[in-house]
Amino acid sequence: MNGVVSLLRRHVWIAPLALFGVLFVVIGILRPTTFAMGQINIKVAAAMTLILIATGETIVLMRGGIDLSVGAILSIATAIAATRGDPGTVESWLWIGAILAIGAGIGVANGLIISVLQLQPFVVTLATWAIIEGSALIILPSESSGVPASWVAAAYGKYLGVSMAVGLLVILLLLWAWFSRTRAFAAIRAAGSSERAAFLQGVSLTATNTGAYALSGFFAAAAGVYFAAQTGAGSPTLGAQYILPAIAAAVIGGTSLAGGRATIIGTIAGALILTMIGDVVFLLKLQSYWQPVMSGLILMLVVVLTSLIEVRSRQGGGG
Amino acid sequence: MMRLHLSNPIARSYAAALLLFVLVSLYSPGFASPSHVATLITLASFIGIVAIGQTIVIIGGGIDLSVPWFMTTAAMLVTGLAHGQDLPLIWVVPLILVAGLCAGAINGTGIAFLRVPPIVMTMSVNVITQGILLVVTRGFPPPPAPGALQFVAAGKFGPVPVMLLFWALLTAIVVFVERRTRFGRSVYAIGSNRTVATLSGIPVARTIVIAYAVSGMTAALGGILVTGYSRQAYLGMGDPYLFTSIAAVAIGGASILGGTGSYLGTVAGALVLTILTGLLPIFRLDAGALRIIYGAVILVTVAIAAPWLRGLLRRQGP
Repeated sequence: MNGVVSLLRRHVWIAPLALFGVLFVVIGILRPTTFAMGQINIKVAAAMTLILIATGETIVLMRGGIDLSVGAILSIATAIAATRGDPGTVESWLWIGAILAIGAGIGVANGLIISVLQLQPFVVTLATWAIIEGSALIILPSESSGVPASWVAAAYGKYLGVSMAVGLLVILLLLWAWFSRTRAFAAIRAAGSSERAAFLQGVSLTATNTGAYALSGFFAAAAGVYFAAQTGAGSPTLGAQYILPAIAAAVIGGTSLAGGRATIIGTIAGALILTMIGDVVFLLKLQSYWQPVMSGLILMLVVVLTSLIEVRSRQGGGG
Repeated sequence: MMRLHLSNPIARSYAAALLLFVLVSLYSPGFASPSHVATLITLASFIGIVAIGQTIVIIGGGIDLSVPWFMTTAAMLVTGLAHGQDLPLIWVVPLILVAGLCAGAINGTGIAFLRVPPIVMTMSVNVITQGILLVVTRGFPPPPAPGALQFVAAGKFGPVPVMLLFWALLTAIVVFVERRTRFGRSVYAIGSNRTVATLSGIPVARTIVIAYAVSGMTAALGGILVTGYSRQAYLGMGDPYLFTSIAAVAIGGASILGGTGSYLGTVAGALVLTILTGLLPIFRLDAGALRIIYGAVILVTVAIAAPWLRGLLRRQGP
């Protein structure tokens, strides 16, 4: 028993991945077509926006911060996407690059305000959330479907037999595999685990903060671009619905809110779990209103179990 | 003397509210008319009442994200149970307040005993409450708010809004609890340093549970009053108050880290936010511009109170 506990503690992604597996099998038994490749493509596509935005949040949480502005960055990305008319191919790519750069730029601003002024991430990103969402409302006052048709076509295209979403997922995993071996990653994690210790080892607190929030902004903007391309529509306030799920996906995936601990597999599993709860609710023929109840219960269950495991391993003297 | 006063964050918040009010009134004289001031105070009182719990929780080092759907649930309950009649309010209102107290205590229990981070605990309870409410009501609109409730929330004694008196009474109670009771002092101690508080024999877990319970109750009270003001309950009516309740506390000078702040500051924060909303029609601002102003005001307020600036001021001090 203690062996299992310490294994789960050392590899935080095992538990959410197992939970995801169980959910997947349950859904598969209730509806056998789930295991078909076409269905898997659809499921990953449905979860992709959340996966992207949660990835950014994961990095900030690992740094020991929190980013409440991710939802607004997602919104402003969709707002810009929906007001581009119908640009040519080259112009399209430039705009996607510009949106991602804007997201990263907002993140840099978040990180600098937090580090240089020594303010609390919660309040700073609460304030920038309002500022960015306000700007999104000015760019696009209400929901509209003006996303370039070529983007929508790209989102639904097949590349070497795999869908855009599955392709993005693979790219994300590869990028993370590389990123998690870099010195930047180690520095962000060290600063998240203990600012004092990291500082004494020569890690720049400002640089790690700025980097973490920049990546968070980048991924939130990427989530916005993906959402816009997938639905063909932009919305200036949509992102607010994604803030708590983004944090929830990371936390279910084993990311510690105290910083210093995060895995991408856990976060992806967390996002997929949250997305699949809708399926479970549907297949059990419950009203769709049960979906938030179940998400909340799963989130709380995971957190309570994690904290019990922590307490147990502390009492056992191990870990 | 002036410098001394403005170094106090609470005094600064009131100065900001007053300055803002005077500037807008000079630009648009109708802004300072008694009836408009009454409206502003009434609207501010709703933010202020919801923020009572938020202030206590934040001073104690936590955060309460379950405010929105506690409010909406209380609103749906009060209209649904009273059926537009005044008499049932006698038992309906206390019942809902106790329900809010208990729901808040669930938050506090998870945070104090199970050691769940406040953000996760209150966020989960918020979505669960939302889901349960939707399952129970199936989205049907409830009957209109009873007349007595409308009078409390929107009525006036002569030129004085009822809510002004009610809010003033509540403020006096909260400030008394903050400063003069064992519970109030325990909240500050826990917010500054939980370990030290535990070691000095403060009942940490019990205090945290009570703080969140109070927050659940004031959110429920806010939901009931907003229903009276808007004459009906609707789904999602509590949503704006998550942002405004936290913003009022932040503008009022409390540190989100806990241990500092006072409800008097939150009152000023609620006034600032409401006056800003009042700019909307005068300057023909759209919703986007207001959001930007909200965000900028929060940033500026917390930046002024930032440690680096305080250090700078101290060095240049007398």
